[in-house]
Amino acid sequence: MASAFRLQCHCILIFLAALKGETRYLEARGTGEDEPFLLPSADLKRELTGRQLYHRALRCIDMLSVEGQFTFTAEQPQLHCAAFFIGDPEELITLDYDFVNIDCQGGDFLKVFDGWILKGEKFPSSLDHPLPTSERYIDFCESGNIRRSFRSSQNVAMIFFRVHEPGNGFMFTIKKNANLFPCNVISQTPTGRFTMVIPHQHRNCSFSIIYPVVIKISDLILGHLNSLHLKKPSTGCAGVGDFVELLGGTGLDPSKMFPLADLCQSFHGSAQMKIGCDNTVLRMVSSGKHINRVSFEYHQLDQYELENRKENSIEEFCFPSI
Amino acid sequence: MKLQLLVSTGILLVALLPCHDCRALSKSPAAAASAPLPPDFLQPPPSLPVLLRMGEEYFLRLGNLNKIPAASFFASSSSSSSSRLPPGALASNFFRAAVQQLQQLPERSLESAAGPGEGEAESLPREVMEREKRSEEPPISLDLTFHLLREVLEMARAEQLAQQAHSNRKLMEIIGK
Repeated sequence: MASAFRLQCHCILIFLAALKGETRYLEARGTGEDEPFLLPSADLKRELTGRQLYHRALRCIDMLSVEGQFTFTAEQPQLHCAAFFIGDPEELITLDYDFVNIDCQGGDFLKVFDGWILKGEKFPSSLDHPLPTSERYIDFCESGNIRRSFRSSQNVAMIFFRVHEPGNGFMFTIKKNANLFPCNVISQTPTGRFTMVIPHQHRNCSFSIIYPVVIKISDLILGHLNSLHLKKPSTGCAGVGDFVELLGGTGLDPSKMFPLADLCQSFHGSAQMKIGCDNTVLRMVSSGKHINRVSFEYHQLDQYELENRKENSIEEFCFPSI
Repeated sequence: MKLQLLVSTGILLVALLPCHDCRALSKSPAAAASAPLPPDFLQPPPSLPVLLRMGEEYFLRLGNLNKIPAASFFASSSSSSSSRLPPGALASNFFRAAVQQLQQLPERSLESAAGPGEGEAESLPREVMEREKRSEEPPISLDLTFHLLREVLEMARAEQLAQQAHSNRKLMEIIGK
């Protein structure tokens, strides 16, 4: 009985001590105290979060990689305009129309595309994107009153617009959201490193670098194979559910690029390849049965390497798509 | 007469004699159509190294393949005798396989991608109307070169860095108050 009573007293004491703990201490601190490592006060927080959103005018051909508000006003008829959006690999793009003043009946249009499309070639390709091509275009003139917000499926998106009447235009806000498992990515920079993870998903993911690069794969884990289950060399990677392939080409669409190498065995270490194409893509094909991961880094081939390796001509390998 | 006979005989001989360079042409279209498989680097001829190895690097090249043995892997995987093809044939096979690969892709016209219902069966009059409508629609793809794309990308990157620097400066000013 005495021990039970003591246990209860101890519990009460612990409970009281918790109520008098540090959390309450921090809440009671005021802004007037001289403390260099003070957590931001309420006023300070308001000042930080209430900073004015970045705002600038949108150009007819533009590329945006920052959050903010962008306004396009036609000073003259602008018939062929587009703006690209790009974020970090782990980000998704969200576009919200704030104000639109275009004459849809008069031939103006404003369309958002989920991805990038250049010379008719799309990224991600039709094979790798969850939506059919028709659903990747969101036409404001058709669905503007219903859908004024758009979120991309990857770190890139773009809009196409045409405005005939000077003075007409539109305004939108770009925000970026986190993407836990980036799948299709276009790199903003010719140098970087990335780890692509496909956790039990039946999907294909591409990482595109629109520069001639040397790419070094440091770690590849494909869940279906280990060192004891070597496939017959004659079969190669064809028919294997999970593998990584390197593609090179002169267009944006990975499905129209030529495969340079394929890897279907896990390894740790480094495998390096120089690819002198305008666009280099590392693509992981995943069956969904395993957790697949590939880590790699890349940097741009410098001009010396491009010009002085005559025996490896870039033009001979990367030909224009037909 | 004799000259004509000789000329026609020569033409027949050239046409009918087996041509090693053109071996890939004798492949059935179906086999060629199924060609666009990645080069099978795990099935190297015994005398040639695997293209991709740990710690080694290779330039990928097409053209004069005699100089770079590893580049001979750069052939259609459907051709079992690719390793024995001369370099010119390898290049032509590569080009042919790539063209076939491109031709096999479903043709998606820019105009058809603008609206819904792509690929659906349509009646002829409606199809004609839609085609006319699409032909009037503006292009929905930009013909920008990679060079220009990189230029605007670098401009966007510079803008992002400037914006980040501005935000950092503001933050320091606020914290310093």
